Amino acid sequence: MAELNSLDPRVLRLDLKKIEDGDVATNTHLITYEVFHQEKRGKQAVHAGVVHASTPDMALVMAKETFGRRGKTAAIWVVKTSEIYTLASEDEDMFETTPEKLHREPGFYKVRDRIEAYQKRTAVPQQ
Amino acid sequence: MEATKELLYKMADDALIIGHRNSEWTGIGPMLEEDLAFSSMAQDKIGHAFALYNILHTAFGEADPDTLAFKRSEKDFRSAQFLELPIGEYDFSLIRHFLFDHAEHLRYDSLAQSTFQPLAQLAKKVKGEIKYHVMHADTFLKQLGKGSEESHARLQSAINYSWPYALGVFEPGAHEAELISTGTFIGEEALKDLWLARVTPIIEAAGFSVPATTQEQVVYGGRKGFHSEHLASLLAEMTEVTNIDIDAEW
Amino acid sequence: MYGNAYISPEDAKRMNESTDDAENLEIFEARITRGEKIEPGDWMPAEYRKQLIRMIEQHAHSEIVGALPEGTWITRAPNFRRKLALIAKVQDEIGHGQLLYSAAETLGKTREQMLADLISGKSKYSNVFNYPALTWADVAVIGFLVDGAAIVNQVINQKGSYGPYCRALERICYEESFHLKQGHDNFVYLATGSPKQRAMLQEAVNRWYRPLLHFFGPSDRDSQHSEKLMKWKIKLASNDDMRNQFLDQYIPKIWELGLTLPDPELKRNDNGIWEFGDPDWAEFKRVISGDGPCNAERLEVRRYAEEAGRWVRTALMNKDERYVVPLA
Repeated sequence: MAELNSLDPRVLRLDLKKIEDGDVATNTHLITYEVFHQEKRGKQAVHAGVVHASTPDMALVMAKETFGRRGKTAAIWVVKTSEIYTLASEDEDMFETTPEKLHREPGFYKVRDRIEAYQKRTAVPQQ
Repeated sequence: MEATKELLYKMADDALIIGHRNSEWTGIGPMLEEDLAFSSMAQDKIGHAFALYNILHTAFGEADPDTLAFKRSEKDFRSAQFLELPIGEYDFSLIRHFLFDHAEHLRYDSLAQSTFQPLAQLAKKVKGEIKYHVMHADTFLKQLGKGSEESHARLQSAINYSWPYALGVFEPGAHEAELISTGTFIGEEALKDLWLARVTPIIEAAGFSVPATTQEQVVYGGRKGFHSEHLASLLAEMTEVTNIDIDAEW
Repeated sequence: MYGNAYISPEDAKRMNESTDDAENLEIFEARITRGEKIEPGDWMPAEYRKQLIRMIEQHAHSEIVGALPEGTWITRAPNFRRKLALIAKVQDEIGHGQLLYSAAETLGKTREQMLADLISGKSKYSNVFNYPALTWADVAVIGFLVDGAAIVNQVINQKGSYGPYCRALERICYEESFHLKQGHDNFVYLATGSPKQRAMLQEAVNRWYRPLLHFFGPSDRDSQHSEKLMKWKIKLASNDDMRNQFLDQYIPKIWELGLTLPDPELKRNDNGIWEFGDPDWAEFKRVISGDGPCNAERLEVRRYAEEAGRWVRTALMNKDERYVVPLA
């Protein structure tokens, strides 16, 4: 590597010569932890992203500044990526008809018309 | 009054210089997440410096924080020499962060009881920030201690190199007795004892040893305005833009 | 911040020839047409995966390399306010890189492999970061105008088809609005400051004008388009459209401060299309192929960061743990 005439005083202080040219290593990447962020007490913790770390302690220390350096944070959770389980993407069709199951929805139950018809029929005084 | 000012100046200068130094890691650290963490801690330190200069400004009529940080001469700085050393490699920066932040943690902890209210309030406010700094340092020390032979050797030699400098952080000032008698601060000697009792077991539990150091080896001077060659160049760099047009608003 | 993902004409040609499992392809494309996102576990054409990795990876590289020109001034910011803003801003670029590498990792390429490809020159980053930040005023121009250009691009890409990339961009765009505001603030202080400050800024604006025109890549007339990239919502707007949007948003903000641009042909037509002088695409090609003022330094510093940090990562590794692709 030729002498660098950097404008960056930080770069000038680095011992660049100590590092040899050539390919850099690709065998030292750490495992990932999935990070969940709870903004406020009482709210859900929401998946925020991942951090590379070697232990849960370190993942938490890393997650704090990766996902909690702005705004409010009440809690951060981490879990090893390999310990998250999910249904296969092609099984999403199991949920396809769920929105049609209206008997589970509040909007399915409408009795106002019936009450009004009854009131008319039986002369219950209207409010 | 002089006693409290002296305490504020050295704390503010320490925070500014270490924050400035550690901000250099932004973008060149050993892994992206660690860049973020180091950078945030550097920003916290610069924030502490601002808050302390601001107390000097509002409570003692000293100049505003920007003037105090960017327009004072090297001789007026009261920071410990430990903090002005270049960031070196990550091993040194991590150990400096570990040793200094434990001292900061205990210093602010004791100052939460200070009779000087502005400092007591600040100490309570930044408690959580410094707690994280210490947690971060301890986590890495522990992991790298049992990591590899290389990491162990690197950190032990960084500890050996740093130790006399770290002890220099507790260089007594001219007004120790007054600070103690007025209940402003517990004093550097007491702080050093607390610090030794705190860091020694952590260092040993991580598999490292604390080097033997004689009193002569301890690097004093910073608290009296005597610095290594690094502070003058640090300040020249830090004020390079300001000095292009010293009266302009940047 | 980041620049446009540069997709070579050869790749675009090859894509149009590629074939894949017809039935799966139909489901995949129908999903995209309906405006749904693709998630990591889904079937996707090999070419989609490849082009996405390439694009997200380039974007991630642009973030961490983009941290270097402004990083040049991190130790020299002139007061507390600027010092904190600049450190936080450069820190965010690293954070954006972190998010984007994670999004690309979901497609099956590790962060380290991506970094190795960056350093070997195998994969690219935005050309704009091969130019130096000569003075403090360059920091203002980068923060305001290069970030402004990046936002145009990123807001558009947020509507793309790949879920993890869109999620990363959502967070990134939010943080970019801080970058833009602090950049504009710095820019305005210099423009309305002392004669020395104003002169510094004008010179920096002159220096960055051409790299900014290059930012969105070659003109649509000269760059081969893949309909497939558009159909798959990997690319969402043409280079010229994005460039025009940028000029329309930012040139007036430069002119309102009485600053000038070094291009007598620059003007806005009645139809809203900006005209500009020859931006010298030969220079763009020269710089992107490695011969720019700072290419060598950028890669050398990244190489240093990776190699100097290697003992740390090696020591942290736990051999009993198996790396799996993140879910992000």
